[in-house]
Amino acid sequence: MEENSICIPGERLGSSEQYQPGKGTYVRHGFVFASIAGSIKKESDKSGNLPLIHVQSIHTKQHIPQIGGIVICKMTQLTSAFAKCKIISVQGSNHTAAFRGIIRKEDVRATNRDKVEIYKSFRPGDIVVARVLSLGDALCYLLSTAENELGVVVALSENGTAMIPLAHDQMQCPITLLKQFRKVARPQSKHISFPENSKSALTNESTV
Amino acid sequence: MLKSKVIMVKTRSGKILKIVREHYLRDDIDNGLFGGKLDQHPELQNDLVSSEHFLIPDTNVVLHQMDVLEHSCIMNVIMLQTVLHEVKHRSSPVYKRIKSLCANPDKKFFVFTNEHCIDTYSARVKGESTNDMNDRLIRIAAKYYDKCLKDRNQTAVLVTNDRANCALAKKEGLDALTIEQYVKNIVGYPELLDKLAKADEAIEVDKSISYPEHLKLSQVQAGVKSGKFFQGKLGISRENYLEGKIITHGEDGKEILIQGRLNLNRAVHEDVVAVEMLPEDQWSNPSGVILDVTVQPGAEITDSEKKKSSGVPTGKVVGIIKRSWRPYCGILESFGSPEMTRHLFTPAEKRIPRIRIETRQAKTLIGQRIVVAIDSWPRFSKYPQGHFVKALGSVGDKDTENEVLLLEHDVAHEPFSQAVLNCLPPSDWSIPKEEFAVREDFRDLPICSVDPPGCTDIDDCLHHKDLGDGTVEVGVHIADVTHFIRPGTPIDNEAATRGTSVYLCDKRIDMVPELLSSNLCSLRDDGDRLAFSCIWIMKPNAEIVSTRFCKSVIRSKSSMTYAQAQMQIDDKTAKDPVTMGLRGLNKLAKILKHDRIEKGALSLSSPEVRFHVDSETHDPIDLQNKELRDTNSMVEEFMLLANCSVAKKIQQEFPECAVLRRHPEPPQSNFDVFLNAAKSRGLELNAATSRDLAVSLDRTEEPKEGIHSYISTLLRILATRCMMQAVYFCSGLESDFRHYGLAAPIYTHFTSPIRRYSDIMVHRLLAASIGADKTFSELLNKTEIQNVCKNLNFRHRMAQYAQRASVGLHTQLFFRSKVVHESGYVIFVRKNAVQVLIPKYGLEGTVFMDRDFEGNTTVNADDLKYIEDKCEITVRGVKLCVFDEVTVQISHDATNVQHQRINLKLVHPKINGISI
Amino acid sequence: FELISDEGYRFDGRKPSELRRVRCNMGVFTQADGSAYIEQGNTKVLAAIYGPHEASNNMRSRVCLDKCFINCEFSQAMFSSAERKKRSRGDRKGKDMSAHIKQTFEAAVRTQLYPRSQIDIYLQVLHSDGSLYCACVNAATLALIDAGIAMKDYVCACSASLTKETSLIDINHVEELAGCAEFSAAIMPKLDQIIYSELNGRIHQDELGQLVDAVTNGCKDIFAVIDRFEVITDNTEIAVSPRSLHS
Repeated sequence: MEENSICIPGERLGSSEQYQPGKGTYVRHGFVFASIAGSIKKESDKSGNLPLIHVQSIHTKQHIPQIGGIVICKMTQLTSAFAKCKIISVQGSNHTAAFRGIIRKEDVRATNRDKVEIYKSFRPGDIVVARVLSLGDALCYLLSTAENELGVVVALSENGTAMIPLAHDQMQCPITLLKQFRKVARPQSKHISFPENSKSALTNESTV
Repeated sequence: MLKSKVIMVKTRSGKILKIVREHYLRDDIDNGLFGGKLDQHPELQNDLVSSEHFLIPDTNVVLHQMDVLEHSCIMNVIMLQTVLHEVKHRSSPVYKRIKSLCANPDKKFFVFTNEHCIDTYSARVKGESTNDMNDRLIRIAAKYYDKCLKDRNQTAVLVTNDRANCALAKKEGLDALTIEQYVKNIVGYPELLDKLAKADEAIEVDKSISYPEHLKLSQVQAGVKSGKFFQGKLGISRENYLEGKIITHGEDGKEILIQGRLNLNRAVHEDVVAVEMLPEDQWSNPSGVILDVTVQPGAEITDSEKKKSSGVPTGKVVGIIKRSWRPYCGILESFGSPEMTRHLFTPAEKRIPRIRIETRQAKTLIGQRIVVAIDSWPRFSKYPQGHFVKALGSVGDKDTENEVLLLEHDVAHEPFSQAVLNCLPPSDWSIPKEEFAVREDFRDLPICSVDPPGCTDIDDCLHHKDLGDGTVEVGVHIADVTHFIRPGTPIDNEAATRGTSVYLCDKRIDMVPELLSSNLCSLRDDGDRLAFSCIWIMKPNAEIVSTRFCKSVIRSKSSMTYAQAQMQIDDKTAKDPVTMGLRGLNKLAKILKHDRIEKGALSLSSPEVRFHVDSETHDPIDLQNKELRDTNSMVEEFMLLANCSVAKKIQQEFPECAVLRRHPEPPQSNFDVFLNAAKSRGLELNAATSRDLAVSLDRTEEPKEGIHSYISTLLRILATRCMMQAVYFCSGLESDFRHYGLAAPIYTHFTSPIRRYSDIMVHRLLAASIGADKTFSELLNKTEIQNVCKNLNFRHRMAQYAQRASVGLHTQLFFRSKVVHESGYVIFVRKNAVQVLIPKYGLEGTVFMDRDFEGNTTVNADDLKYIEDKCEITVRGVKLCVFDEVTVQISHDATNVQHQRINLKLVHPKINGISI
Repeated sequence: FELISDEGYRFDGRKPSELRRVRCNMGVFTQADGSAYIEQGNTKVLAAIYGPHEASNNMRSRVCLDKCFINCEFSQAMFSSAERKKRSRGDRKGKDMSAHIKQTFEAAVRTQLYPRSQIDIYLQVLHSDGSLYCACVNAATLALIDAGIAMKDYVCACSASLTKETSLIDINHVEELAGCAEFSAAIMPKLDQIIYSELNGRIHQDELGQLVDAVTNGCKDIFAVIDRFEVITDNTEIAVSPRSLHS
């Protein structure tokens, strides 16, 4: 199959001795098949493994949170033991009907875990970048912000303006100059890539 | 492939339905011109058409002129889909005929699917009626063909009966002719003109009669729906062609009487009609008068006879819902000069009115049996109008008369087609080795067959073996016809259509070709045969220990007649296994019969005679009553037992689709006349149940003072006539399985697959249930089975009628040059006649009480006294009562060459002016 | 009552093994995650897909930890048949249909990729003229592809009936009414697997093979048609039209 050609579900892309199956494909009887419609992408692996073949959907549509994946969520409810949130975006796609997630107290920070206080880490309405730890129980995903790059990315002060990060645990309102505690994410654009539309979604969300 | 949509808006029961249907137009529809049926040079010449031409008939031509189209000279016809659809809608018999014409490769009738062809399709124009649209479609198709045929210098001729359509077609530049114009100018076939059906307008007005107008179909339907009219199939009385009745649809199915020409209002026997009830004071009773067509043409019941205090529901026909006219056999009336073209035709079936036809061949046709079809029955014509179809041969000739009775009873008697014969095994067929592997080998058993003399299609054999442990093994072996007749083959289809073999006095119309019926499947004693066996282990008291069924190979040790078998049984010296077996069977049969009768099985009787036929002329030279020996009933008992066992098995195995035979219990009212007649002679009979009837009939066998000994047989004959018809049915569609006459809870036919198709179906079911054969789709489809059963019931009835008619014909031939005095018995007393049965000849006839033996009315009403309750009639002081013995003179009346018949004249008792 | 004339044409002019005209469209709704519209002759069906998303509140009990569950809702417009009739959502026929479609797609969608989530398939019949199940399945397949949900293969469905030993495929309402047995099946054409089959009425077992063959061929024809015709006539969005890009 040629690179960038279009395939449809059920189409045979090649043998599994030829390729490693990637996203949008599956292996059956020793062959790699497409499972979604889209264009075929191949990535050769430098370490000598078989080249990876995956199908890139033409639409950027629904994705569901994957373990180890990065999600963007919005805080909804805080307790002393955990913070509840709605997952509003997975891999850059925005969800209409959100999945729910929780961040437990011990997963907020990598260091000084026992000193974490939920109320000093998040506030309802904060937009948080988090990693999926596990599928949790039947009701919600277990998320973690215990990395420098994870944490609050957008938070609004009491008068409604976006606050500016001061330190790893503090943010300040540019107008009232009021300081608040947060588990702030270190902005790293190459690590966390925000597609255009999700940013606009974020601003929309924050103005509501 | 293009498509368009047809949108129709229909209303039904007030609701508005919008039905959208797709209609695909195609460019790949065969027009038959290239390499098809129409790729040739039509030879038929017509003075009005200059070139080689093909015919395109319109719907009305097909509907009314089938006899012309069926003529062998009419070939190369283009049948349009539009026409076929309309014909199908309007008349299913015509549709069947046209379909078979289209299927016949010699006729070269090509069906063109014009409405789906992109070149000939046209949508309905707004406001156009269906008729107009169809006419237009036909013209478009004709134009299309004209264009296509142009390069070949051929034309398409549109044949229509509709003047307006014809004119329109001409205006559009088409060759259009009316059928009359066309037929008149055909070169070389003048006889075709007689076959032309007359259009309505060409009929002269008969001033003597004016029938009430028929209501429109829509009015009739509305009336039936509202309950104002009743719908039903008209059945004309056998005795009086001006009296009929319908049985209304619905659960109660009440009977409505229709009397008189005007009330019948042009309805013909078997038409589906709408009837309006007359006011109750005009209700009347079925007349006891026998109308003899030949003596008094046009005799009608006078008003005085109609007057009765109470009557049965009586009505008049207001509309015809469906005609079921068919071609009728009969003769041309000899009145009038043969030079004239207008003639009256008298059908052989008494229930059909006479038909007016036009023919130029009257001279040759008089004295011949001919076939005539009805075309129409206008209001001002006393008789329906028809046309001549074909001549069968001279009246009185045996072959002609046989042909007539076969045609009249719709018995297929033409030779088997090549396709059917191709299904036969080679004539030197012998049992292949692999059959021995899957069949049980019964060739060593003492198997024998017992049949009437001269029987060549032996389908059953028996054996009896003492097992030595106090039980006996009894086997019934039936010819394995289904081994040769595989489902779905032409031979199977043909057998299913014929349904039964028909036994006429002098010939047999086979259901399957002779190679099977008289050789491979006939269980003769000349070699090995395939059989389907039913084996019982029985105790000496005929109690069944076990039953099993298997396919087998047998070798009959002896094919005997009933008489031979009886002699062997009686021959004390014979000790061979076959004879021993026969004795054993005979003993068991008696026990079985006894048990059966105990349960309430009826032993009825019908006067049956056998004709001895001259070996050369095939004319009957003598006749004798069928004798009943023990051996007859022995074979019968075991066949009944086999049938019952098989019925149980297949019903168990295939509860939804077993083919069974049911004999409904007759309603008590059927017995009224019969019980009344018996009562008038002091015999109290009870017909509440079959057992009661059997017991009370047996009681009549005891001699009683003042009554002759034959009365018991007479009563049995009459009781038979009160019975319902036994019918085949599919077990999945009925709940009542009982067989009244045999007093069996379940019954079927298994034992005569050579001559009955029902048995073939039963064989297949049984084979499937024991794993000896595969099932197939039609076998397990209950509606399919019910359809086959319906046809079988019809064929059986027709076969019976044909058999009866054949006996009648032979009786006539037998008495052709004889005058015999013979004693007979009065079996019915009517208002003006008595019905007499002569047991010796199995002959039944009417002796009129109001006219002398020459047919002149001599007795006036005062001298005639008829007491219905007592079943007696007194003429000039001489009393005749039912079951009285009389002596009659039997003679053959050939005074009317065209209408020969048997005449009965009273000899004893002497009645002045009536008896000889 | 003849379903097929001696010349081999059906009521509407088709031959026994011909499909009705198939027209389809994808991405007809912007709100749904995936949507499609299909016409098979006069049978017209709209399909909309929502998901995969977290199970809605009233479906919590159906959540599976290792795969998604499919929720199917089938409804028929009250003007969809000859007679205007009010149809409630939960009538028996609708429930059966929903269950059958759900079963079909549970076999085709790679549900294990979407644990703990729900995929909604909404089907709306605009006009019914026979072979409803088949049109619904075909519409839903297109909508699922539109939604980018991973499937093992296309799912194509086709119906067939048997008369006079000839099998008629893609039967319309008139042919359904004739009372012959109706066989419907959904197959995955490229994997050559039957994932759903249903028989209404009785046929003999010997005839089943013929019917299955006819239906399989019909499904493959449908596949060929929707594969080729997947072009959308409205030019709003990209939408998948893989084959047309190919050729």
